[in-house]
Amino acid sequence: MDIIKIENLVKNFPVGKGFFTALNDVNLNFGKGEFAGFVGPSGSGKTTLLNIIGSLDTPSEGRAIVMDKSVSELTHKQSAKLRNEHIGFIFQTYNLLPVYNVYENVEFSLLLQKMSGSERKKAVMQALEWVGLTDKIKSKPNMLSGGECQRVAIARSMVKKPQIVLADEPTANLDSKNSHHILQTMKKLNEELNVTFLFATHDEKVMKYLNRIVTLEDGKVLSDKQNNLKL
Amino acid sequence: MIKFLIKGILRDKTRSLLPIIVVSLGVFLTVFMTAWITGVFGDMIDLSARYTTGHVKIMTRSYAENKNQLPNDLALLEVEELLKTLNNEYAELEWVKRINFGGLLDVPDENGETRAQGPAAGKAIDMLSPDSKELERMNILKSIVKGRVPNKQGEAIISDNFAEKFNVNVGDELTVFGSTMYGSMMFKTFIVSGTISFGNAFLDRGAIIIDISDAQMALDMQDAASELLGYFKTGAYDDAKADTLKSTFNKKYSLIEDEFSPQMFKLRDQDGLAQYLDMADSMAGVMVFFWIIAMSIVLWNTGLLGGLRRYSEYGVRLALGEEKGHIFKTIIYEALIIGFLGSVLGTLIGLGASYYLQEVGLDFSSITKNVTMMLPQVYRAAITPQLFYIGFLPGLVAMTLGNALAGYAIYKRKTATLFKELEV
Ligand SMILES: Nc1ncnc2c1ncn2[C@@H]1O[C@H](COP(=O)(O)OP(=O)(O)OP(=O)(O)O)[C@@H](O)[C@H]1O
Ligand SMILES: [Mg+2]
Repeated sequence: MDIIKIENLVKNFPVGKGFFTALNDVNLNFGKGEFAGFVGPSGSGKTTLLNIIGSLDTPSEGRAIVMDKSVSELTHKQSAKLRNEHIGFIFQTYNLLPVYNVYENVEFSLLLQKMSGSERKKAVMQALEWVGLTDKIKSKPNMLSGGECQRVAIARSMVKKPQIVLADEPTANLDSKNSHHILQTMKKLNEELNVTFLFATHDEKVMKYLNRIVTLEDGKVLSDKQNNLKL
Repeated sequence: MIKFLIKGILRDKTRSLLPIIVVSLGVFLTVFMTAWITGVFGDMIDLSARYTTGHVKIMTRSYAENKNQLPNDLALLEVEELLKTLNNEYAELEWVKRINFGGLLDVPDENGETRAQGPAAGKAIDMLSPDSKELERMNILKSIVKGRVPNKQGEAIISDNFAEKFNVNVGDELTVFGSTMYGSMMFKTFIVSGTISFGNAFLDRGAIIIDISDAQMALDMQDAASELLGYFKTGAYDDAKADTLKSTFNKKYSLIEDEFSPQMFKLRDQDGLAQYLDMADSMAGVMVFFWIIAMSIVLWNTGLLGGLRRYSEYGVRLALGEEKGHIFKTIIYEALIIGFLGSVLGTLIGLGASYYLQEVGLDFSSITKNVTMMLPQVYRAAITPQLFYIGFLPGLVAMTLGNALAGYAIYKRKTATLFKELEV
């Protein structure tokens, strides 16, 4: 059973009087628990594709079906609910909320759900345990290292126990030691919780962890194969 | 969620400080200016009430029609009887008689020949009854420049201006020429017991003040008076009450066919004071209106700047599954919280400043000295119940409105465009 189905997907962006085609007839399926990634040169459409899967954007043509829901048919309420409950995001620049501490940053998406205080606390503490940051719950983002920030971001995306985590260049701002650390963390979560991880990346280090690599070029799928170089 | 927002507001000074300063400044100015306007107009009204209009005033119908000419031939008669009735039926007011008259003041030299002469506006009030409050009401004791207040009949106080001009000293004699109530020639000599300066030209121009009993005798006005003034014993003018008083009194005692029948006027009806009172009200209203608009524009802009600064925060929140409508709502909530804080602060500072000016006042006597209008010397603010909301509500509205306008830009964008712009 595929958790993500992309069928004949085209994405056009209006540019001047015409269009720029960022994704051109993409067909892809991802099953539950995959640890896969999009690679390809800059501008090849990786981020655009992740945004559509994350229902932050919609296809111009074709369909993107995420957890049996067609992204283009969701109201913005429904897509917000889908993101809130089932999709986690991890960004290159961490994007933690600067005025809130580690605990509050992780807690935020649960505040949008109806959840009791004690349940929330349990979930937040567990997520912080997964990434090994229970000793920093009171720290503000500006007191943390880049690696620690990205681990908070992982905890934030994992706290709601999502089905899918979308990570756009998660290691681009990290040194190799930290990169490996967070990749190991994500891999572990993928294996233990059977969460689907999709990456967009240029990073060789990331590619080594992936089970499946989809190469994009000019908005088209150039290749889609199991990863032989895997660690 | 509210707790989450409050934490954000308190920790992020750039989010809260400027708007709180703007709101509290606007609220402060609204409160303070309102208190000031109310106070100043209130003082002007109070001054008129004390010297000329009373809180209510009774004259004969025809005296009222010609009152600028001081037509004592049309004065009220059987005043003692009328006072008795008034004290019975309208006991919540204190009633006093006054006589206004015009005349010529003649200052004789040692041979009894005229040394100087000038027209004067005369006022007769009750200065000799031990329980009379008129001296206090007209602030006469404090306004005495030389000498003292009359303590027996036959004494008079004159304006210090006049005394200076004609070189009249305390203890000198001075004759008032005029006409009696019945039109015959009248002259009476007084001893100057003191000179007075009220500090403004309107009251100080060639004035003479004598006791009411002297005036009644000299002007042949036994048991008569130009006017009866009523003062609420609470000390404050109450227009609604004055209005009922006026209509019940006039219905009962004022006869259209009898031009000598008494007629009651309330303070508002006299000397164009209604205009002042209304002006005070509408000035406050207009001011508040413009403040709301100005504050809203400023806060709209600070809201826009704040929003720009927080674009990536909004982007992340979208990605975490917050709806843009909900983000918009939290922007409004934040505005309400900040608006509330700013409004409370502004109201408190405004009340504090108003209280100070109510107690201390600003002395403008050197400026108003030559103004021929009846103006108070010391201007005070007045604290009224409306001050507690007149700035508070606009502060809240302006902050919310400003941020709603700023936040709407976010709300109406498509999620995808927004997310792209947010550069997450
Ligand atoms: N809103 C937009 N309007 C116009 N063009 C856009 C828009 N968003 C993306 N594009 C274009 O679509 C193409 C694909 O962009 P995308 O961000 O998906 O690339 P990417 O593969 O993620 O690149 P990178 O590796 O640099 O992150 C780019 O050429 C980009 O300029
Ligand atoms: Mg990208």
